[in-house]
Amino acid sequence: MRALLVEDDPDLSEDVARSLAAAGFVVDRCSNGEDAWFQGDVEDYAIAILDLGLPRLDGLSVLRRWRAASRTMPVLILTARGEWTEKVEGIDAGADDYMSKPFATGELIARVRALVRRASGHASAMLTVGDLVIDTARMNASIRDRQAQLSQLEFRLINYLAHQQDRIVPAGEIAEHLYGATDGSDTNAVEAIVTRLRRKLGSSAIETRRGLGYLLTGKAG
Amino acid sequence: MRRNSLRLRLLAGAAVTVFLALALAWAGISWLFLQHVERREADALVQIAEQVVAGLTVGADGRPVVEPRPADPRFQQIAGGSYWQATNARGSVQSQSLWDQSLPRTGASLNRWTRATVMGPYGKQLTMVSRQIRPDERPLGVTVRVANDNSEVRSAVRDFDRVLALSLALLWLVLSIAAYVQVSLGLRPLDRLRRDLERLRRSPSARLSEHHPHEIHPLIEAINAMATAREGDLVRARRRAADLAHGLKTPLAVVAAQSRRVREAGADNAAESLDRAVEAVGAALEAELARSRAAAARGASGDSDAIEVVEGLVSVIERTEEGEAIAFSIDIAPGLRAPVDGTDLAEMLGALIENATRHARRQVRIEGRREAGAIILRVEDDGPGMDASAIEVATQRGVRIDERGSGHGLGLSIVRDLADATEAMFGLGASALGGLSAELRWASPDHPPKRR
Repeated sequence: MRALLVEDDPDLSEDVARSLAAAGFVVDRCSNGEDAWFQGDVEDYAIAILDLGLPRLDGLSVLRRWRAASRTMPVLILTARGEWTEKVEGIDAGADDYMSKPFATGELIARVRALVRRASGHASAMLTVGDLVIDTARMNASIRDRQAQLSQLEFRLINYLAHQQDRIVPAGEIAEHLYGATDGSDTNAVEAIVTRLRRKLGSSAIETRRGLGYLLTGKAG
Repeated sequence: MRRNSLRLRLLAGAAVTVFLALALAWAGISWLFLQHVERREADALVQIAEQVVAGLTVGADGRPVVEPRPADPRFQQIAGGSYWQATNARGSVQSQSLWDQSLPRTGASLNRWTRATVMGPYGKQLTMVSRQIRPDERPLGVTVRVANDNSEVRSAVRDFDRVLALSLALLWLVLSIAAYVQVSLGLRPLDRLRRDLERLRRSPSARLSEHHPHEIHPLIEAINAMATAREGDLVRARRRAADLAHGLKTPLAVVAAQSRRVREAGADNAAESLDRAVEAVGAALEAELARSRAAAARGASGDSDAIEVVEGLVSVIERTEEGEAIAFSIDIAPGLRAPVDGTDLAEMLGALIENATRHARRQVRIEGRREAGAIILRVEDDGPGMDASAIEVATQRGVRIDERGSGHGLGLSIVRDLADATEAMFGLGASALGGLSAELRWASPDHPPKRR
């Protein structure tokens, strides 16, 4: 598996590259933003590890250019500032995870592996229910023009509903699917996830059947 | 009013000065009035005396004779208070009221009436006029004296003095009140200046208002120039501290990596020392960055859309290992704006949501609403919560709260410092979800907080 490591500090880059190599990755290294953009644009990588503070072109701009060019490899960003607004900007720009410096290399490798597993585990299956299209590879959903990035829980919930084929699914059953052993209060958590999904996909995408459960209609609006 | 007070000094000075001026005025007016009354009294006596002179002749024995005598009945009553007497070397003639007494001899002029205040018979003080007359051009002169008991006049003057003193005391009171008003009005710009300076002390970016009397404009300009210089120094110092902290993070990551290699090489003790050093330096850097952020937030203006900030934060946190298993519910009134810069709000709520996520079992709820003149943002979780003593420790100033999991135990400290800097109230309590509830509360801009 190929990994692109973009880090301008040679010592850190050297160490992370060595750890990635030890974890089984073939690592390409870049030390500035322009090279990183070019490399990520023309080569296929299983993952990119991208520092935000880069010479020539900053990391966020590199990431935005990759996504604009439909480069879909998972990207983990490294940031020295560690401010929340910077993390939000990174995720908005299309990053899949972030780590603040200084970090433990072991944790970095674990996260890289998790991202690669998540991206590759779902091949590129697309599920369609009504107007709703679920991209199981990138954990995305779109309904007409509306695009939404889903959290792990949201994805698991809507994926489960999508596989129930017009069946009304009780909240308790969903909670059991999400959490395994459950108690009564977990249905509140299910309701919270459904509320957030409706905010992302529109209020008609999931209907509540009072006393029965939830039905995925996939309707836009 | 404090002893060493400008207001007290000005007021005391005005009160004493006005009192002395009014006392002097009282003495002067009283003296003038007395002179006036005595002159009127003397004029009346001269008229009577001229009646005596009109009837004055010298008898064959050389003694003075007054015929007809003044008809005023007071001259008939013994010790009646009005007396006349004509005297020469051979003898004298006098009013019946004098009986066996005589008027005191004072120097009398030949050509004009002389006024004097004397002690007369029967122990009474008298106003007396006297003059030397030469009836029929005789060489032997006759001294004519006419006197009147002046106790009534003195009583009238005393009454006048008392009324005058009361009036002037009243005037003193009115003038003192006027002085108080004047001093208060005069010192009011200083009071406003003091409030401006208090604002400047709390917020280095604030400046003194230009709306002050032109007499203190040079002072305002000097203070504003000093504040600008101080703010510049602060900003440079903070920027250097933040740059230094950020600049150290990458080398620190390198050292952390070296530690792992050292451990792999079998030198566990050395690796542990390195790890401890990295952790200590990392904590110091985070603390410095937090201080720098809080200092920059102090006095900064701006507001931010609460839903936008919270949605952004949740989209980040739900991607973390801990966040992906948590259901986040966001219940924030549409259009709710927190009176704080978006970056600062993100730092506060980010730390609170991350903390709630770390301890939650299934669910984290973020609420926001406007209530009773306040803007409230609350983060709740369904985790184990904190007992009352832990909450008390967590909300104390200057206490660092250690948190489970990663991080440097700074999360709630950052929230507390930023809440302090943005004039928010930060509180912890029990949540209806069963875990901890963390609340940030700002006074709404429509309801500014009362001044301390």
